[in-house]
Amino acid sequence: MAGILVTLVIGLPWLGAIAVWQAGNGRAKLQHTLAIVFSVLTAIISLVLLMFASSEAVIQIPLGVSFGELTFVPDGLAVSLTAIAAVVGSLAVIFSVDYMHGDTQLGRYYFLVLFFIGAMIGLVLSGNLLFTFFFWEITALCSYGLISFYNDDPKAVAGGIKALIITQVGGVGLLVGTLIAYVNLGSFQISVLLEKATTLPSVPLSFIAFSFLIAAAAKSAQFPFHTWLPDAMEAPTPISALIHAATMVNAGIYLLARFYPAFESVPAWTMSVLLVGLVSALIAALSALIATDLKRALAYSTVSQLGYMVYAIGAGGVFASQFHLLSHAVFKALLFLAAGSVIHSVGTRDMRRMGGLGQRMPFVRNVFIIGALALAGVPILNGFWSKEFILEIGLEHSPVWTYGIMLFGAGLTAFYTFRMVWLVFFGTERDQLHAHRAGLAMRVSLGILAAGTFVTWLFFGGLNGLLSTTMPFHGFEHESLLEMVISILSAPATWFALLIVGLGFGISWVRMKGFKYFGGGLLQPLVDTSFGFEPVNTFVVQGVSKFAERLRATQTGELNWNILGIIGGLLVVLVVLWMGA
Amino acid sequence: MFTPLNVILFGVVGLLGVGFYGLLITRNLIKVVMVLQILIKAVILALVLAGKLSGNMGLGISTAATVLVADTIVAVVGLALAVQVRRRFGTLDVPKISTLRG
Amino acid sequence: MESIQYGLFLLGAIFCAYRAIVSKKILSATIYLACISALVSATLYLLGAAQVAVMELSVGAGLVTVLLVYAVSVVGDDALDPASVIPKPLAFVLVGMVTILLGFMAFPAIQTNIENSSIALAIALWQNRVLDVWIQIALIFSGVMGVLGLLSEKTPGRTEEIHQ
Repeated sequence: MAGILVTLVIGLPWLGAIAVWQAGNGRAKLQHTLAIVFSVLTAIISLVLLMFASSEAVIQIPLGVSFGELTFVPDGLAVSLTAIAAVVGSLAVIFSVDYMHGDTQLGRYYFLVLFFIGAMIGLVLSGNLLFTFFFWEITALCSYGLISFYNDDPKAVAGGIKALIITQVGGVGLLVGTLIAYVNLGSFQISVLLEKATTLPSVPLSFIAFSFLIAAAAKSAQFPFHTWLPDAMEAPTPISALIHAATMVNAGIYLLARFYPAFESVPAWTMSVLLVGLVSALIAALSALIATDLKRALAYSTVSQLGYMVYAIGAGGVFASQFHLLSHAVFKALLFLAAGSVIHSVGTRDMRRMGGLGQRMPFVRNVFIIGALALAGVPILNGFWSKEFILEIGLEHSPVWTYGIMLFGAGLTAFYTFRMVWLVFFGTERDQLHAHRAGLAMRVSLGILAAGTFVTWLFFGGLNGLLSTTMPFHGFEHESLLEMVISILSAPATWFALLIVGLGFGISWVRMKGFKYFGGGLLQPLVDTSFGFEPVNTFVVQGVSKFAERLRATQTGELNWNILGIIGGLLVVLVVLWMGA
Repeated sequence: MFTPLNVILFGVVGLLGVGFYGLLITRNLIKVVMVLQILIKAVILALVLAGKLSGNMGLGISTAATVLVADTIVAVVGLALAVQVRRRFGTLDVPKISTLRG
Repeated sequence: MESIQYGLFLLGAIFCAYRAIVSKKILSATIYLACISALVSATLYLLGAAQVAVMELSVGAGLVTVLLVYAVSVVGDDALDPASVIPKPLAFVLVGMVTILLGFMAFPAIQTNIENSSIALAIALWQNRVLDVWIQIALIFSGVMGVLGLLSEKTPGRTEEIHQ
């Protein structure tokens, strides 16, 4: 049964992708309907799959001696991420019906979205490291295709190429780690790596651990690879919500969480993970303070929250990071989609030109506020519980100064969240903008997500049970919802954190009343160059492009030169064989 | 050193070498088809030689026969293509008929 | 001595191959190709593969020769032989290295003498390789179809250019 469900949950989005593509761009209504049907079906099946989670491989396809077996293992980590990807995916697709209304290239759009959803689900369900890599690359490809969707716009194309090249660096890291593991262990299976990691000599194990860390950091836009995500905001907003907030960037977190038990014994690894998360959270929060583009601010916020999750893993709280991942997926998708409604109706992303939109878009204002409160960590909403859980784990297992910085980050989060809400929805109108109410499809997805923010923290017990019973290597402790609630509410650290959050709100409110909320002052030059990393990234991207141009000279298209290449290759093979024998 | 099988091996390698040289040098499309024929003869010899060495003569012969048939089809279709190329491009000079570049 | 027989045949084959490649007219190259076929066929017969020898002779010295002559008659035997694209010394050196390495590495594998193994296996194995037979039939069929399709259009290139 689980095997059939896994096949369906990966196969249906791909089938839907082909169906939408074949429907043709002339029949937009049919395309919208097909996309919604397939994505909602996938979401339903993924929720059913939650009940069939197990730590055994449910599909095993032997692929010959070199590749081992293609296995899919629906354990707790995998099915929870599958459910998130499928559900948020379907909501983003529903939102797209309104957002992409009238677009002439819907076939390409929906194909890439559905293909992406299937690939993301395959990534988390795969039990074979090589296939995890294949699915990883497919998601990177779809992300590139969707960021550059408006391919007449040079900024979109540049953003897409930048994202592609930087995430490919991560892909190389994943491949190198996979191959080193294969050479030492003889198998591509993830379960084998988890079992035998401690038996590996320390040098290969460290290589694998740090390669995977690079892969995760590049994919999740963590320091030092944090520059691609803000530029990826050229994508249509449902894509920003789906790929760059709720699913693809979580692939890095997934990787770290999955392999934590294998690598925790590597010296300096947990500390590196901790620091990567810490630095990302801090500099992203600082950058969000002075951002003027609404989506860019949300992108910085995503990097910051992912930093919290990485920090949690570094401190040993793998479950805490997954819980925050669930909350974050819901409220961040909510924020992005609500921002999308605003941007779609007023036609600009610049917050300096918005203002006072709250009266004309009351529904969007309300859901945005709900999302913002969840992001800042206000009680009752899911962000509060998960963020406090992370901070509690941080206090217990990591040095106090790191805890202090994360706490400061929470305050900064509150500050920039309030600033965003104020600049967009309150105050006086700064520009004559046309604002209409959100359409029905938009409201449906926004409403469901807003309801989610109130509710998903209740799944703590279920999530805990799922993860602890199906993941034998991680050693999760059983903790029920009630225990978690009591422990959080009774810890003095929680109240301290709430104090900081309140302080953040208060200072922000005071400054909003004055006029000092545009400029950057000291921070501006730092943020413009992404804290010094922008030149590095530009250099890398341009270097790669120039090298590719120069390689074009070898493609002469002439038979004799091609044959020369073939015989040259044959010569190389013979020499290698001769040396090796 | 000059056992019969060694001689055949040298023959195979020699024919392969001449064939590769021909592929690198020739500029005429029909000549390319002919050089491919030379290479395939070397391959057939090698297959039968392998059959002989392993004692599994039947397998060697049947594989060699299959390769022969396939190669004949290649020659036939290749020559038909060459005729059409001549009609379309007006020349059989390989560097001039390359429209696939970069 | 068998070695001398084989040696003569194969040396002749290599010589004919070289002449075929460097000849200026395609018709003379065709004759040389037929000679190669004959010599290789003789070698195959001496090795014990009589069926392949017959096939090789009839196909190589018969079918391919006729086809080439037909193609040349349609196309015209242009005496074109401009300098090759790749400098000859480079090609020579490369191919020389490949052949020497190949010969070197394959040499130790050939140490047994000729044994007269059971040739009746050929018949028994036709049943094991029956898939090959079907594939060959499909190949021949598709080849014939392809050639008919290719050679029946009189001047498709011209009509396309007119439409452009």
